[in-house]
Amino acid sequence: MSGLQLANGLAGLLIVTSLLVITAKRPTTSAFFYALQSLVLVGIFVTLAGVTGSHELYLWAGTSVVTKVLLVPILMTRLFGRLDDPKLGTGERISPAVSVLMAAVVLALCFAVVSGVSLPAVAATKPALAVSLAHFFLGLAAIVTQRNILKQVFGYCLMENGSHLTLALMAAKAPELVEVGIATDAIFAVVILGVLGTQIHRTLGTLDADQLTSLKG
Amino acid sequence: MVPSVLPLLALAVPLVAAIGIALLPARDGTTRRTETLHLGAIAALSAVVLALVVEVARGTDVSALGGWLYVDPLAAVFVALIGLIGLLTGLYAWGYVRHDLEHGEIGPRGHKIFHVFFHLFLFTMLLVVTSNNIVMMWVAVEATTLGSAFLVGLYGKRPSLEAAWKYVIIGTVGVAFGLYGTVLTYADGASVLADHEGAILWTNLAAHASALDPMLVKIAFVFVLIGFGTKAGLFPMHAWLPDAHSEAPSPVSALLSAVLLKCALFVVIRYLILTTRAVGADFPQILLMILGFASVAVASFLLYVQKDLKRKLAYSSVEHIGLIALALGFGGPLGIGAAILHAVNHSLAKALIFCGSGNVLMKYGTRDLGEVKGLLRVAPASGVMMMIGSLALAGFPPFNLFVSEFLILGAGIASGHWVVTGLVVLLLTVTVAAFVQIVSGSVLGKAPERIGVGDVGWRALAPMGVLVALVVVMGVAVPRPVARLIEDATAVVVGADRATPIAAPWQKAEPIARLAAPAAPRS
Repeated sequence: MSGLQLANGLAGLLIVTSLLVITAKRPTTSAFFYALQSLVLVGIFVTLAGVTGSHELYLWAGTSVVTKVLLVPILMTRLFGRLDDPKLGTGERISPAVSVLMAAVVLALCFAVVSGVSLPAVAATKPALAVSLAHFFLGLAAIVTQRNILKQVFGYCLMENGSHLTLALMAAKAPELVEVGIATDAIFAVVILGVLGTQIHRTLGTLDADQLTSLKG
Repeated sequence: MVPSVLPLLALAVPLVAAIGIALLPARDGTTRRTETLHLGAIAALSAVVLALVVEVARGTDVSALGGWLYVDPLAAVFVALIGLIGLLTGLYAWGYVRHDLEHGEIGPRGHKIFHVFFHLFLFTMLLVVTSNNIVMMWVAVEATTLGSAFLVGLYGKRPSLEAAWKYVIIGTVGVAFGLYGTVLTYADGASVLADHEGAILWTNLAAHASALDPMLVKIAFVFVLIGFGTKAGLFPMHAWLPDAHSEAPSPVSALLSAVLLKCALFVVIRYLILTTRAVGADFPQILLMILGFASVAVASFLLYVQKDLKRKLAYSSVEHIGLIALALGFGGPLGIGAAILHAVNHSLAKALIFCGSGNVLMKYGTRDLGEVKGLLRVAPASGVMMMIGSLALAGFPPFNLFVSEFLILGAGIASGHWVVTGLVVLLLTVTVAAFVQIVSGSVLGKAPERIGVGDVGWRALAPMGVLVALVVVMGVAVPRPVARLIEDATAVVVGADRATPIAAPWQKAEPIARLAAPAAPRS
């Protein structure tokens, strides 16, 4: 199996892990699956780096291990572990089975869109590119379909992982600083959402997005 | 492009101020020191911004950090807006936040958080408009959300926390679309340009835009428009805006509405330039017209039915951002020039009226238009200025928004969009009715017994007075240096030598000889 096929296969695993992130019962479990997913992403970076000989991608893989596999999941576990809303339950608007079905539809659509791109750089990695795009929209769907505000944060993380993979596939030689900028931003976003979530939990006593409805019109 | 230290200085001042204030302890005794640092920083920033804008207006595009920062006339317009509105809302906040502290709305800690994030927010917005590196531009836009989230949620009550949460979630998700658009654009450029590193700079992309893959350019523009359009408050991505604008402390509402939305629009304009050069103007213009018109249409009715003063003003922002997008969609030198002028004019008037809403809050303690009556009697200066702000936003002459709306409608007719232009005129009458509600119901009318007569302090009134003066001056005749800068900015967008003159309909026409002469070449 060539390196690029391996990258495409690993990209498939991304979808599986993101479904686990979305359907996990507790936010801390989601954080664990998110770390697992980031590890798969790092695997793709390393594979691509081996195939393309891109020195930058090894660096990306390194920073991703630090930020996405370790730092963000640990931060999330620490911030979210203390918060609980028993009334909310799992907070899913749709059942896990429907989630999986939706993921399949999104994936099929993204394959159709990507087949239209004619850039030579991505000719061999189109499946992975389709997955990266689908991943982005899965994250969006997670935000819409989850009532638990902490789970919505994971939706954002999935979207971010999707764009990150697109960047690696399409522009493997992007300067390291680009990647650091994006990763730093993601960390800050998670921290700020975590702090706000904690404040909301303390002041309002809920984590349910449907309870945040005093502002309307 | 001439290297200069000024863009770096403009970024350094607010960043250093934020760090400096963060290092001060948050106790009752230190609030005066925080205020001194705050006032010193906004004064220093406006001096640096003035020097930078004058430099660019004289015909030199400046850059710094090896081309990562770049200020051309287009960026200079927005840098000037951030500097000016930052100065005036910063001055206003001096009195306003002190009032909040004295009345126990916030503690010394909230006082400190406000000032730290105020300057951090200014820093991130300046980074957006001075970035030439498109990824850094995205990072900066995302940072504006993160920098202002705690300002929106400052009061820590149920509605403000709710507003802050919606703001950050919708903001980061929206801007994630912007990231995707940025990544696509960069990847597209990197595969075309010989120099991979160079593809990250907007100036390089713009120079080689015609070589980009047309399909990818279109997809990227859609992502960018959704992403940064969310931050700009375009319908249907505007859901965060009324909540955040109404729950934030009034000087922050002014900053959000007057400057933040414009920064996001600035990014859209940067990509509009790329897209137009790559695939022609039709595709981006149609999208901008659709979103712009929908924003005006929906916002004008929602604006009319609001009972909360600050929510009303927030929907008015959606409406005016829609008008700007519409003008960009009409295109041509007239449309683009009108859009930029309208961005400036709206900033001035909206900063004025949001500060006015702060005065209303200080006097009445509520934003409910049913309870706010007779402002003119209890606080005459505030009342007059609120009235001027309302009339300006409704589009009456001799105030500034009349001039730019007139130019926008002119651009609509000139580009042959009769029906859209006609419908917009009808929708604008709904807006007029909404602002008449504010004037007749709240500025005039009989004041409740419980409210004592006496205006708010001079610290709050003085910066509003300056804004009133600017609203009138820009309405009577657009000053030549301002018009020149906007014309140069328009030329950056349309890529022509010389743009249509920016002037009020009654302003004396320029001598033909000067208009016919090509603009001096920029270095």
